[in-house]
Amino acid sequence: MTTPIGDAAWRARERARHRREWLVQGSLALIIVLVIVGLAQNVVANLEARQIKSGFGFLADRAGFEIGELLFDFTSSDSYLRAFAVAMANTLRVSLFGIVLASLLGVIVGVMRLSHHALIAWLGSAYVEVFRNTPLVIQLLAIYLLVTELLPDSSNALALEGIALLSKQGLQVIVPAHGLEALLVALVVGVAAAIVATKLVKRWLEIGAGLIGVACALVAAAIAWVLVGAIGGWSRPEVDGFLISGGASLTPEFLALWLGLSLFTSAFIAELVRAGVLAVPIGQSHAALALGLTRRQAMASVLFPQALRLAIPPLASQYMNLIKNSSLAVVIGYPDLVSIGNTSINQNGQALEVIVIIMAVYLSLNLVVAVIMGAVNRRVTRAPR
Amino acid sequence: MLRLSLKPLFVTAASTAAIAFAPAAHAGKTLDAVKARGQVVCGVNTSGPGFSNADSQGKWTGLDVDFCRAVAAAVLKDADKVKYVPLNSQQRFASLQAGEIDVLSRNSTWTLTRDASLGVVFTGINYYDGQGFMVPAKLKIDNVKKLNGATMCVQAGTTSEKNVADYFAAQGMKYKSVVFDTAEAITSAFFAGRCQVYTTDMSDLAGARTKASNPAEYVILPQVISKEPLGASVRRGDDEWFEIVRWTQFALLEAEEYGLTQANVDAQKTANKDPGVQRFLGVSEDTGKLLGLDAEWAYRIVKAVGNYGESFERNLGPKTPIGLPRGVNNLWTKGGLMYAPPIR
Repeated sequence: MTTPIGDAAWRARERARHRREWLVQGSLALIIVLVIVGLAQNVVANLEARQIKSGFGFLADRAGFEIGELLFDFTSSDSYLRAFAVAMANTLRVSLFGIVLASLLGVIVGVMRLSHHALIAWLGSAYVEVFRNTPLVIQLLAIYLLVTELLPDSSNALALEGIALLSKQGLQVIVPAHGLEALLVALVVGVAAAIVATKLVKRWLEIGAGLIGVACALVAAAIAWVLVGAIGGWSRPEVDGFLISGGASLTPEFLALWLGLSLFTSAFIAELVRAGVLAVPIGQSHAALALGLTRRQAMASVLFPQALRLAIPPLASQYMNLIKNSSLAVVIGYPDLVSIGNTSINQNGQALEVIVIIMAVYLSLNLVVAVIMGAVNRRVTRAPR
Repeated sequence: MLRLSLKPLFVTAASTAAIAFAPAAHAGKTLDAVKARGQVVCGVNTSGPGFSNADSQGKWTGLDVDFCRAVAAAVLKDADKVKYVPLNSQQRFASLQAGEIDVLSRNSTWTLTRDASLGVVFTGINYYDGQGFMVPAKLKIDNVKKLNGATMCVQAGTTSEKNVADYFAAQGMKYKSVVFDTAEAITSAFFAGRCQVYTTDMSDLAGARTKASNPAEYVILPQVISKEPLGASVRRGDDEWFEIVRWTQFALLEAEEYGLTQANVDAQKTANKDPGVQRFLGVSEDTGKLLGLDAEWAYRIVKAVGNYGESFERNLGPKTPIGLPRGVNNLWTKGGLMYAPPIR
């Protein structure tokens, strides 16, 4: 038998409080819904009054423009929907490349700043201060200008005969003729190698099995990729007039954007790494050294894993910033989502719809990052302290 | 007590709902707004030599700028009462739709889609243009057909972007596009050699070439692949303002037909007894009141900016760095396409 808590008057007050809270929250929710519905109606009415076309029907229409950089086929007779898909793939590609390079650079620079060598620490600081304290747009424009001014014309391209070409048309490298198959084989072999290597290494090594697994996976994947090329033939970059054919191509716009985003974000990641390591109590470092670990071992096995735990949540927001910053592509002519969105707005005038699409895509991309980083964070925090 | 604490909330809810469900806002009459403001807000090109270009002192010049000045002269009796809003190709129509500018005078091509679905309406044509191609002279290319495989710089959201796609598809040729949002970004990339070809309207190419360190290093190919009738546009739904802007362009043309110039208009006003001229200058009849203006509206236009031909020669003609011939932009009486309905 349960005894009710408090006296009757108190319970009455509680019930009144509950009612009040429901009323307040319910009214708030109602107001929000009303405002949204009202605004939407007002927008539709205004568009009609001004005789501006609206609705998402345009997505099926013929786009009528070309896109300079493609991960899959697109011609001017394809639909706007496909143009947006191409643009999203371009955004995704530069973001992924950027996240990988920014993380690598960030960890290296962050560790440099913690170094006991004055010169190395100073170099790290200089790097962070320069890239963190200048506007990204200016960095992008500067890098793009350098790339386009310094590189030679395609007729005098810097060539590694049959392997790679570097010119104002970008970087072209040799790839297996069966590109997609090669990537798939490399992926499968890489994953398999990672699993096998990690298991084998774990038997006689306690720390660092994961890193060795990753290294083995990369090497195995590279070998598999080259083998597919050797068996199935290569696609080599060749200059023919001003047309460069064959090989895989990275345009100057992509290179500049990739580099710019990576440098800028890596400065922030370096600070996260440094902050994370410094936040680990000094006793941990002392204890590790007292146990006879070298400085490097102490960093790799004691400090870094604990620092990671602190750094992951802010790291996630740096990744999200990088994805959003990739929209600055528009200033250097890389056909990302915003650039293609702008073109579409101008060709069909449906600004509202296109902006909704752009926002929805960035929101979903960042939610995916949030989910992935959340999972990583849970895994890291679950590790024994 | 409960009622007391919730009352403000309900009031807020009611007023918020009232705002949200308010009828669609109307822009108000543009002419009244312009007069009240004492300024015509004119959307122009960020950098279009010959059409709209700001010099080092921030003074705007060009054919499209003259048009803005003509509108201000007609409406506000002072050609200097113009606020110029530089817009890139993507902002221009959105800016007009949103009511940020009164007139868009930014070498924009008149097309069916733009006229019928953007909530804007074109008032006329002040330059008959066509799309062409500029290439570095050292490539020794003399024909568009030899551009297969070229990398091409083009401005985002322009008719050029679509024309070139159509043209190359029809010819079975390929190209790679590099798309920038401003003309400045394109010219710097093109002159740096990122693209082998710059494609846009012929008049724009001529203007861009003047910005090269050595203009002789670039050639404009003779082939023209499209019709680009350039003109001003206004928001839909204000017929009175539409008529004023449209007839401003006609007044510029009519003045040239009558031989009225900035220099002689004062003398002609009294000396010329041609009934057409008398009517045009508001001496014998008041054509302005039909437009909501005064009798001397056309006189002030000529006094402030001259006639169309003068504006052309001053901004684009053979004596300017742009150096464009009058060509099809001459009066219909001189073998061109420029024709104004009678002002009577």
